Amino acid sequence: MGDHHDTISVPNDETIRLGDIRNKLMIGGYGVGLAAMVVALLLGMFAQDQLRHFFFAYLTSYLFFLSISLGALGFLALQHLTRAGWSASVRRITEVIAMTLGPMALLFLPILFSVLSGSSVLFEWNDAELAASDHLLAGKEPYLNSTFFAIRAVIYFGVWIAAAWYFLSQSTAQDESGDPKLTLRMENKSPLVVAAFALTVTFASIDWAMSLDWKWFSTMFGVYFFAGAMVSFFSFTLICCATLQSWGKLRDVITVERYHDLSKFIFGFVLFWGYIAFSQYLLYWYGNIPEETVWYLVRQNDAWRSVSLVLLFGQFIIPFLGTMSRAVRRNKALMVGWAIFLLVMHWVDMFWLVMPQYSPEKLPLGWMELACLIGLGGFFIGNIAWIAAERRLLAIRDPRLPESLALKNM
Amino acid sequence: MATVDEVADITLETPGKRAPLVTGGLTFSSITEIVAGVPEQEKPPLAWYIGFSVSVAAMGMLFALIGYLVFTGVGVWGNNVPVYWGWPIVNFVFWVGIGHAGTLISAILCIFRQNWRTSINRFAEAMTIFAVCCAGIFPAVHIGRVWVFYWLFPYPSLYLNMWPNFRSPLLWDVFAVSTYATVSILFWYMGMIPDLATLRDRTKSRVHQIGYSIAALGWTGSARQWSRYEKAYILLAALAAPLVLSVHTIVSFDFAVSQLPGWHTTIFPPYFVAGAVFSGFGMVLTLIVPAREWFGLKDLVTTRHLENICKILLATGSMVGYAYAMEFFMAWYSGVPNEQFTFLNRAFGPYYWAYWTMVTCNVVVPQIFWFKKCRTTPWIMFVASIFVNIGMWFERFVITVTSLSRDFLPSSWGYFEPTWVDIGMFVGSFGLFFTLFLLFLRFMPMVAMAEVKSVMPHGEHDPIAEADHV
Repeated sequence: MGDHHDTISVPNDETIRLGDIRNKLMIGGYGVGLAAMVVALLLGMFAQDQLRHFFFAYLTSYLFFLSISLGALGFLALQHLTRAGWSASVRRITEVIAMTLGPMALLFLPILFSVLSGSSVLFEWNDAELAASDHLLAGKEPYLNSTFFAIRAVIYFGVWIAAAWYFLSQSTAQDESGDPKLTLRMENKSPLVVAAFALTVTFASIDWAMSLDWKWFSTMFGVYFFAGAMVSFFSFTLICCATLQSWGKLRDVITVERYHDLSKFIFGFVLFWGYIAFSQYLLYWYGNIPEETVWYLVRQNDAWRSVSLVLLFGQFIIPFLGTMSRAVRRNKALMVGWAIFLLVMHWVDMFWLVMPQYSPEKLPLGWMELACLIGLGGFFIGNIAWIAAERRLLAIRDPRLPESLALKNM
Repeated sequence: MATVDEVADITLETPGKRAPLVTGGLTFSSITEIVAGVPEQEKPPLAWYIGFSVSVAAMGMLFALIGYLVFTGVGVWGNNVPVYWGWPIVNFVFWVGIGHAGTLISAILCIFRQNWRTSINRFAEAMTIFAVCCAGIFPAVHIGRVWVFYWLFPYPSLYLNMWPNFRSPLLWDVFAVSTYATVSILFWYMGMIPDLATLRDRTKSRVHQIGYSIAALGWTGSARQWSRYEKAYILLAALAAPLVLSVHTIVSFDFAVSQLPGWHTTIFPPYFVAGAVFSGFGMVLTLIVPAREWFGLKDLVTTRHLENICKILLATGSMVGYAYAMEFFMAWYSGVPNEQFTFLNRAFGPYYWAYWTMVTCNVVVPQIFWFKKCRTTPWIMFVASIFVNIGMWFERFVITVTSLSRDFLPSSWGYFEPTWVDIGMFVGSFGLFFTLFLLFLRFMPMVAMAEVKSVMPHGEHDPIAEADHV
């Protein structure tokens, strides 16, 4: 071993664990989350619409937080697949985020029970009468039925939780043993995880977002969801790093170089999202076939037109130009600003995917949406703190940590 | 010197210790000897002459057939109602796709800090440019009156009094492919300047000296030149990276903006890009496996490089498989009878043989790369790469021909048959490709010497050296 390895000191144990902050985060997160969910439920009950508004608003924010967790899982699998070294210093944070897929499964239960009880307030295809009378829907019945829907959901969460738990447990075991074989083992499993991830995320997005409008279809839909998920995951991770550092954690460990790297990924996936969103729109606009354009017709008329434009500029053009510069990417404060901006935009994206089905003409933006966002957001923060527990926030004996700490952008 | 075991070991990497990219104890000077030694040979080996003669003959056939086509008309092809787009578009997409590996290796892998790319990027970039040459020929002669090809470009013409149709993806193609060709040539050439200077400084032939001097643009290797070179390189890489996506996206639009079932589907842009990278890496493997054998490059292009290529083939082949599956699923899910018919027709209609050739070559064959044995045995991967080339040609054939041959009006269904001119021109395009490629091998540095040296250990106390030799 050469001199350059010795110059890196082992960080103080206190600075790589949540410590006292954990309880505050859990109490705060779960407390606020619970209160907001109660408000949302009360609002829903007073609306006397069989909780229709509640379920749509809940699904919007649920997909928002789910996509962050899924992005983390996809990222982890890709890091191991490519034997990445740069990310070793931020990987534990993403392992914790990915593990929130566990509690996310519990938060999916309201939707699942609603579907299993035969309710069609959220998914119109679950209406037995409609299925019997509509020829088109009858044709889709082998896929769009409540039993298969539930089976698929169980498979998705089974795959995600198993994979997330695998990465987190192996990595934390390495904290103790420092055994490089654990890294090799994760590398060996990663291609299978990537394959399973691609299929489950695709079909989950079809089930939970695309099938809201059961007449509409797009072969690109899974890729679209994935692209947005990656933007929001990288943004969220960058915010996590900055927040932890502002609390005095991981100070010397996550250098400006890692912010630069994360920002490059944000920039790249903003471009990728724009590319996918544009391609999907262009092909349907150009083909101009009614059963395909109907989905966009709702979204570019009346109140939804402005939301579409907000997405075009807010999730693509403005952040694309804004995060292009190297100086911006190496400026932590500015990048935190962009990351928050992009998270807001990603929520608007989910809102745009889900809500037009609830209210095609008017923009349903009010207390219900806010309560669901804060409610699920509180749970999400609480879950992260709960999973982080006494764990280190740094893969302290990852064999590639020295590389990550030393690596500089040219 | 490297033993067989060491070479095999290089595919394994102990976490925390990066495996060396170059084996066999090569030094800066021995790399120059090996790479520059090829164009410096007095006479190339006999095999080169044989390959060159065959290629030139095939290329001659291509140009003769183009002459025949220009004088007679595009009716010499098999294109006819209802298949208006036959082999020419199939060949065009096939060759453009192959080009993509070069840009991916030089631009995207550069951005992702994949240093192993330095051993193969020059080679792959050259392949890109020659593939784009082959691709460009087919749409160019397809327009019929090739002498007015410049009507393709929007220019203020008093004679024509009109613009090309800006809503036509064929016009977008003109821009996409010409931009791609320009940036690829610039990138390839700019990256080669330091190596051309090396050849200039070493050669003893007066003619070569003059030739390489002009090409090297007065490169001296000063610090200032290197600094500008690095900046230009990273800028071109950043500019070329979106081109990897854009070119084949636009090519996919040629099909996907139509209303034809089997063409009009939203997955087409990323699916075409994945397919292009897949076919390109297939061709890289086809070329590099024999080349490293013949030119003694095994320590530069190691088993590890080959294994990485195989992994990319597995990944992109599976992505293509994902797209096939999504198309089938959505055709069923959409409930649109025409969509459903088109896909059943592909798999079980008159072109079933083409469809299953495509699926076998593109999705099934790459699955062998789950096994390490297949990723590290050159002859196995060579055979697999041939399957990939075949499969990707068939993919474009299946898309183009099956959808057109049976569209909305059963009374005008038909079965496409290529003519001898179709076949001759396709074979001839390989002649053009290999002629250019063999000339490249003969006169140019086929490995980016300067770049490989930049990722090698720089001395005893170098961090890379320590990481490599632990």
